Amino acid sequence: MANLGRLDWYDLARTTNWTPTYVQEDELFPPQMSGSMGIPMPAWESYDEPYKQTYPEYVRIQREKDAGAYSVKAALERSKMFENADPGWLSVLKAHFGAIARAEYSASTAEARMARFGKAPGMRNMATMGMLDEIRHGQIQLFFPHEHCAKDRQFDWAHKAYDTNEWAILASRHMFDDMMTTRGAVDVALMLTFAFETGFTNMQFLGLAADAAEAGDWTFSNLISSVQTDESRHAQIGGPLVAILIENGKKAEAQKMVDIGIWRAWKLFSVLTGPMMDYYTPLEHRKQSFKEFMLEWIVVQFERSLIDLGLDKPWFWDQFLEELDYQHHGMHLGVWFWRPTVWWNPAAGVSAEERAWLEEKYPGWNATWGTNWDVITDNLLAGKKELSYPETLPVVCNMCQLPINATPGPAWKVRDFPLEYKGRSYHFCSEGCQWCFKQEPERYAGHLSLIDRFLAGMVQPMNLAGGLKYMSLEPGEIGDDAHNYAWVEKIRTDRQKDAA
Amino acid sequence: MALFPLTSNFQGDFVLQLLPVDTDNTMDEVAAAAAHHSVGRRVAARPGHVMRVRRQGTEEAFPRTLKVSESDLKPMECIEVIWE
Repeated sequence: MANLGRLDWYDLARTTNWTPTYVQEDELFPPQMSGSMGIPMPAWESYDEPYKQTYPEYVRIQREKDAGAYSVKAALERSKMFENADPGWLSVLKAHFGAIARAEYSASTAEARMARFGKAPGMRNMATMGMLDEIRHGQIQLFFPHEHCAKDRQFDWAHKAYDTNEWAILASRHMFDDMMTTRGAVDVALMLTFAFETGFTNMQFLGLAADAAEAGDWTFSNLISSVQTDESRHAQIGGPLVAILIENGKKAEAQKMVDIGIWRAWKLFSVLTGPMMDYYTPLEHRKQSFKEFMLEWIVVQFERSLIDLGLDKPWFWDQFLEELDYQHHGMHLGVWFWRPTVWWNPAAGVSAEERAWLEEKYPGWNATWGTNWDVITDNLLAGKKELSYPETLPVVCNMCQLPINATPGPAWKVRDFPLEYKGRSYHFCSEGCQWCFKQEPERYAGHLSLIDRFLAGMVQPMNLAGGLKYMSLEPGEIGDDAHNYAWVEKIRTDRQKDAA
Repeated sequence: MALFPLTSNFQGDFVLQLLPVDTDNTMDEVAAAAAHHSVGRRVAARPGHVMRVRRQGTEEAFPRTLKVSESDLKPMECIEVIWE
C-alpha cells in the first residue's frame, strides 16, 4: 500500500484535542498555565503554522545538523583558532556562551509549557520540537566551549554563569525568567518566540554566524548557523497565535505582551550584541555597525511582522529608535570600566582608527562618548591605571538590571526614572522599563537588584573584593582589557610620531 | 550622623552611581564625594568652576552648606552634580 502524502495526514495527526470526561477543561488546561484568556477551544483549534514538520523529518534533519556541526568542530580542533583569534573575538565567544547556553536549557522548559499547556494542538506539536531544539542548544553550546576551559578559565563560565549572582547574569536571568519560566503558554509564545526570537535572535544569529566566518572561526559559525535553523522554525509558534487573539478580541493583551517582550529583548541586546559588533569585533572584520544591523535586519523586519499580523508598532518605538544611537555605547563603556565584574575581557575598541569608524557610523561620538574615553585614555597614558577602575557601583535599573546610562559629555542626557511603589523606591533606566514594571508591579516588586542587595548588606565585605566574591568571580576569571592595553601604547606611539 | 546612600548623576558622565555619604555632610561635601567617582576618571576637571548639587528635575541647587539631614532628600534619590 502506498504511503499517504504528508499533507494528506498531517492535519489529522496534529488534531490531538479531545473532550475530557474525567476532569474539567480548566483542570486539564489551567488558565494560569495555558494563558488562554477565556478564548473557547474551537478558536484554538484553528491554529496553523507554515512549517508543518513531521516528527520523523525532525529527527532525521536534527541528526544531520548535529553531525555537521560536531564534525566541523572535530575537524578544526587542531586549527589553532583559540591561539590565532583576536582577543576581542574570544571575548565575543565567552560573553555569548555564558549568557546564552544555560538560558537555552531554561528555554526548553518554556517550550515544554507550550507543549503541555497550549490549547492549540498545532502549537503543542511545534513546541514539542522546540523543546527538543532548546535542549540541543543547551548541550551543544556547553560542549563546544568546553575544549577551551583548560586554556582559559573564563570559558568555564559557559556553564557556571547562570548559577552565580554576577550582574550581567542577574540581568539575563531576570529577563529570561520573566518571559520563559514564569508565564503561561500564550505569554511565552508571544514574548519568547515572537518578540525575542522572531524579532531579535533569529536575525542576530545569522549576523553572528557571518561575523564568526569573517573572524575565521568556522566552528562557531557552523554551530550558530545550526542553532539558527532551529530558531527560525520554532520562532514561528507565536505568530499564528496573534491572529487568534485578535479575532477573539484580545488585541490589547497580545500587544502588551509583545511590547514588553520587545522592550526587554532590546535592553539585553544593547549590552551583549551592541558592544560585540561595534567594539569587540576587529575593525577589519566589521561589515555593519550595530545601528545599521538593527535598522536593516531587526527594525524593518519587525515593523513588517507586526503590521502583517494586525498589531501596531509599540508605543515606545520612537524612543527605541533613538536609543539605537546611544544605549549600547553606554553599556560598553560601563562593561569596560567595571571590567573586573565580568567573566570576559572587554575590548575597549577605541584606538584612533576605531574612533574614526565610530564617528563615521555615529556622528557626534567623539564629542559625547569620546569625552569620557579621552579621560580614560589620558589616565592610561599617564600611568594612572587605578583611575581607570571604579570605586563604587553603577546604579542599575530595577527592570533590565543594567546600569542606568545615557549620552555623556556636553549633550549629557543621563537621568533616573524613579517610581514609588508600596513604600519602596525603584529606579529605572527608561520610560520603557518603568512602563514594564507598571503593567504588573506585583510580578516584579519583590526582586532585589544588585544595588538593593548591596544596600541590604547581602554583599560582604562592602567593597570590590566582597562584590567579586558575591558574584563568584575567582582569580583568573575576572575581566581585564582584552588586548592588555596595547591600544594605549599604539596611541602613545602615534602621538610621539605626531609630536616629532 | 549616619550613612546615607544617594544616586549620583554627575554632569558630563554617562552613568548613575551609588554615592554613600553621611547625613552630616554638606552639599559641597556631597559634590566632592560624587566628583571622586567621576572627575578624573571619565569627566575632565574644570578648574575655576564650583560643583553644585540639585535634585533631579529641578533647576535650583541646594545651598552649599546645607546638610544632607537638613534636606528632604530620600535614600537613593537621584541628585545631579553640576558645574557652575
